[in-house]
Amino acid sequence: MTVVDTGTLAGGAASKAKGLLTWEKQEHLVKLAILILAAVLSFATRLFSVLRFESVIHEFDPYFNYRTTRFLAEQGFYKFHNWFDDRAWYPLGRIIGGTIYPGLMVTSAALYRLMWMLNITIDIRNVCVFLAPFFSSLTTLVTYALTKEIHSTGAGLVAAALISIVPGYISRSVAGSYDNEGIAIFCMLFTYFLWIKAVKTGTIFWSAMSALAYFYMVSSWGGYVFLINLIPLHVLALMITGRFSHRIYIAYSTLYCVGTILSMQISFVGFQPIQSSEHMLALGVFGLCQIHGFVDYLRSRMPKEHFELLFKTLVSSLLSVVVIVGTLLTLTGKVSPWTGRFYSLLDPSYAKNHIPIIASVSEHQPTSWSSFYFDLQILVFLFPAGLYFCFSRLTDANIFIILYGVTSIYFAGVMVRLMLVLAPVMCVLSGIAISHLLAKYIKSVDTGSSKPATESKRQHKKLEQQSGGVKSEVAIGFVAIITVMLIVYTFHCTWVTSEAYSSPSIVLSARSHDGGRIIFDDFREAYYWLQMNTPENARIMSWWDYGYQITAMANRTILVDNNTWNNTHISRVGQAMASSEEKAYEIMRELDVDYVLVIFGGLTGYSSDDINKFLWMVRIGGSTDRGAHIKEKDYYAANGEFRVDKEGSPTLLNCLMYKMCYYRFGQMYTEGGKAQGYDRVRAAEIGNKDFELDVLEEAYTTEHWLVRIYKVKDLPNRGV
Amino acid sequence: MKKMELSRIIYCVALTYLCFSAANAEIINKNVERVLDLSSQLVKTTYKITAEETTGKPIKEYVFIVTEPNLSYISAKDGLNKKVEVQKIQEGGASNVFSYKLTFSSPSSKQSIVIETVSTKNILPHPSEIKQNDKQLVKFVGKLYLYSKYSTSTQKTNVILSSSNILSHTQVKPFSVSSNKVFFGPYENIGAQSEDELVLHYENQTPFLTVNTLERTIEVSHWGNIAVKEDIQLTHSGAKLKGSFSRYDFQKDGRSGQSAVKSYKTYLPASANGVYYRDTNGNISTSNMNLMRDFVDLDLRPRFPLFGGWKTQYTLGYNVPSYEYLYSSGNKYMLKMHLIDHIHDNMLIDEAVVNIILPEGSTNIELITPYSVKRHQNDLMYTYLDTVGRPVISFSKQNLVENHISDFTLKYSFSKVSLLQEPLLVIGFIYIIFLFTIVFLRLDLSITSHSHKD
Repeated sequence: MTVVDTGTLAGGAASKAKGLLTWEKQEHLVKLAILILAAVLSFATRLFSVLRFESVIHEFDPYFNYRTTRFLAEQGFYKFHNWFDDRAWYPLGRIIGGTIYPGLMVTSAALYRLMWMLNITIDIRNVCVFLAPFFSSLTTLVTYALTKEIHSTGAGLVAAALISIVPGYISRSVAGSYDNEGIAIFCMLFTYFLWIKAVKTGTIFWSAMSALAYFYMVSSWGGYVFLINLIPLHVLALMITGRFSHRIYIAYSTLYCVGTILSMQISFVGFQPIQSSEHMLALGVFGLCQIHGFVDYLRSRMPKEHFELLFKTLVSSLLSVVVIVGTLLTLTGKVSPWTGRFYSLLDPSYAKNHIPIIASVSEHQPTSWSSFYFDLQILVFLFPAGLYFCFSRLTDANIFIILYGVTSIYFAGVMVRLMLVLAPVMCVLSGIAISHLLAKYIKSVDTGSSKPATESKRQHKKLEQQSGGVKSEVAIGFVAIITVMLIVYTFHCTWVTSEAYSSPSIVLSARSHDGGRIIFDDFREAYYWLQMNTPENARIMSWWDYGYQITAMANRTILVDNNTWNNTHISRVGQAMASSEEKAYEIMRELDVDYVLVIFGGLTGYSSDDINKFLWMVRIGGSTDRGAHIKEKDYYAANGEFRVDKEGSPTLLNCLMYKMCYYRFGQMYTEGGKAQGYDRVRAAEIGNKDFELDVLEEAYTTEHWLVRIYKVKDLPNRGV
Repeated sequence: MKKMELSRIIYCVALTYLCFSAANAEIINKNVERVLDLSSQLVKTTYKITAEETTGKPIKEYVFIVTEPNLSYISAKDGLNKKVEVQKIQEGGASNVFSYKLTFSSPSSKQSIVIETVSTKNILPHPSEIKQNDKQLVKFVGKLYLYSKYSTSTQKTNVILSSSNILSHTQVKPFSVSSNKVFFGPYENIGAQSEDELVLHYENQTPFLTVNTLERTIEVSHWGNIAVKEDIQLTHSGAKLKGSFSRYDFQKDGRSGQSAVKSYKTYLPASANGVYYRDTNGNISTSNMNLMRDFVDLDLRPRFPLFGGWKTQYTLGYNVPSYEYLYSSGNKYMLKMHLIDHIHDNMLIDEAVVNIILPEGSTNIELITPYSVKRHQNDLMYTYLDTVGRPVISFSKQNLVENHISDFTLKYSFSKVSLLQEPLLVIGFIYIIFLFTIVFLRLDLSITSHSHKD
């Protein structure tokens, strides 16, 4: 490739280099190379866990998705749609087809079918495992397209490169993390891209396309609510800033009408788009659009005085009608009250005070400052710069990305999980910032010394035409700093991915004293034992965290799972765990429980076990009428601490959960120099050592005691 | 005259009788030495029989009767260590009694025969349910004397048990016990078909594992690889676990759960590589592989120890280079591989299904097996880059033991040119994509006038 002088470049696009390729083709090649590299990188960096462990589904929710996908792939869509699952929520069951977002399962089942049609006989599990990395490759491409629409090609390329490795997104899309978010981020950005396209062109084609993308988004993730509020917000902002035009009218009206009708086809969404208050902004803005259009029409046809009179009357009467109708609908219950999850977005303390089950999930906790830096690194600093550049050159599209950035940073602050929504916009804005800065300084650097900004050069011909105000040394220094920052970013991202986000959590690994790796495969050991050695229709009681895994890996009926739709039922299980043996036996007989499964980390030091989660069981158990007798304070020691040793409260020391976890643990030596029954997680010698179980018997305990399974004894024969 | 008639009739009758008896009645078992190996879950019996024709005629055929149920394997050799043909005699009637006809290649009036039999599921746990800390006790019920069509002059039976802890055994004198061996006999002049019971009740902690189903899939690729995959379903068929399982006892007390199977060894061919061991939930991380000189020793540990009545299921797979098993001359190929392979010592397989997947385009397929099997219908399988499908040869066999590990031969023709089909398919496909892109980018399908010209 020939080295082309910047001056010639600025001269004109048609200028041809001396070599084989024209400038245009070279640009194409560089663009293509960067995009392909970024896409491949975003796939490859997510494979740590597959290489380190194996191709396996991670965590909890993905197991449910995997199980339903398997069902869909085997049984077909109609059976899936009508699927009543009797393996979960015994004795209630769950209608799966109507209570999930089917986008993820349909996507993988379609891919699976397609590949089998082409005689690529891949296992359905592998489709599921590699779906998220595959979609993050697509996200990389779509980010490029979106940023290109908003700013420039150069910014698009930088944004694509940034998003391919940003930990905030990787955390939910590593291979094996088979969850809705994996494809939803792609859908969301794709919808945004098409929306920007629609806003820019004002054609029905692009608006309809964005409505279709919106439909895909609705079908795959509950987070679509963010999208259907952000787009109206954008329209509203455009109206306020006086940028409303026919283009926006067409774009929004088409998107709203088509999108809403389509979204109502998802049975889980149903009539929510016209009933729940979360969707009211979209409806309101749709109405405003019509009024705005009508007003504009009137204004063009009327004298000014007449128009003003009419305008005032119209506004006041409309407002009162809207308020009256809105109140009526809310009072009659047609418009559903704002759901708890949404309240907790606006007020972080809401959930904790009102719904223990929402607060108990770690990913619903507010984000700490450090995790912003951990997940986004330099993007945190580049984000304001990007915002500044957007403000400095406001366009319809820029306003959108500003709104997206500002709202998502708020939501990410409320809930850790929404970091995912923030990460893409961080990349987009940082891409804009980097590209802008590099374009400004690179022209003062001697040619040939800096490769990273080659792609953005051309986009900033205008800037180049201004006199290069900076000295070459300053420019070189600046470019060097940016380069170092990007390199550090790369290392940071790779390190975070490999250390924090690539453990399957179903297989644990630890370092032994001699440096070797110890694998704790106890979860699968226990689930497989259940699958192999319990009756086909055995009912298993466990805390809801493990519900999805048990149904997927052990194929047994469970009482509660991660769906958490029935608080009373979960509370009942919590009551059983928190009660004494006799009381618990009554509850277990009532619920037809055959086996009870608990997770116990006291031997290995695995800290997220059931004893550490136990207070949540107490709280949730005590949150309903039937569990009113279970009071949290009974489980604290006299000094108000939660402890399992001799000081611990007698209620705790005699409850079912305690007994199941510590059954015969009192005889174990766990650590050198410590007494028998030393719990390594709580760092205490347990208080109640010598007890026998009356209503349960140990059915199985895994090698490292991580999972303990008990069988509920039958009622004793009469007279014995 | 009348007298003459009578004597003639008598003569005729005598002659007929003589003719009949020449085939059997005159054969006696001069000496029988029986070794019963009951030290594992299988009953392995070795009979050393010296048969004699009292009239001095050469013995061509000998009928051997097996009374044990579930006979899995039988083989016979003569005194010169030559293999004797064993043929099952079809018989209705008695359900558990099967007769086998041995045909000698070199008839003589005195034959010494060595017969080996293996039968399964004849050693039963007694009691059938034990607690975790109990010892596994088993009971064997067999025949004290050789059940034979012929009378036996003298016979001895040596029983080898798994431990010296013998609770009871049949007390027909003379007998003696030394450590884990029990000697019965010699017993003199036992008539034909005499049935006396031999009962032994003793401790047997060896693994009682039953392979319920084995599905062995052999996929042949002419690019130099043969992939073997075995789907195995295992049950601990010993005494069932009664009451609760205690991990504490199992870890702390060496005597606890001795009859449970913690791990077992599987031997693979020496050239096996790319070994995997997994189940429906993924890889089973607890196994060790040792490369030996002429085999690969795989120490498999199921996810959980197998106690009585517990089941598990897994998939074991590996690759072997094809040059060791696939022979060719021109377009003719011959695959020679083990029909089943070693799973664990003293294994017992209820049912084995073997599928052999040949490359696409194989014809004239001919299967030769070392013993009779049940052929299934040939099938077609479609996988990567297939167009017409790969032929699948499938057959099954029930009740197999280690002695059944022997080679089958599969002959087929395959034209070497079809080897190029798959690469050509890929090349062609990519070529078409490029061609399509080139044409597509140069096509202008718009109805309106060109806008980029202005």
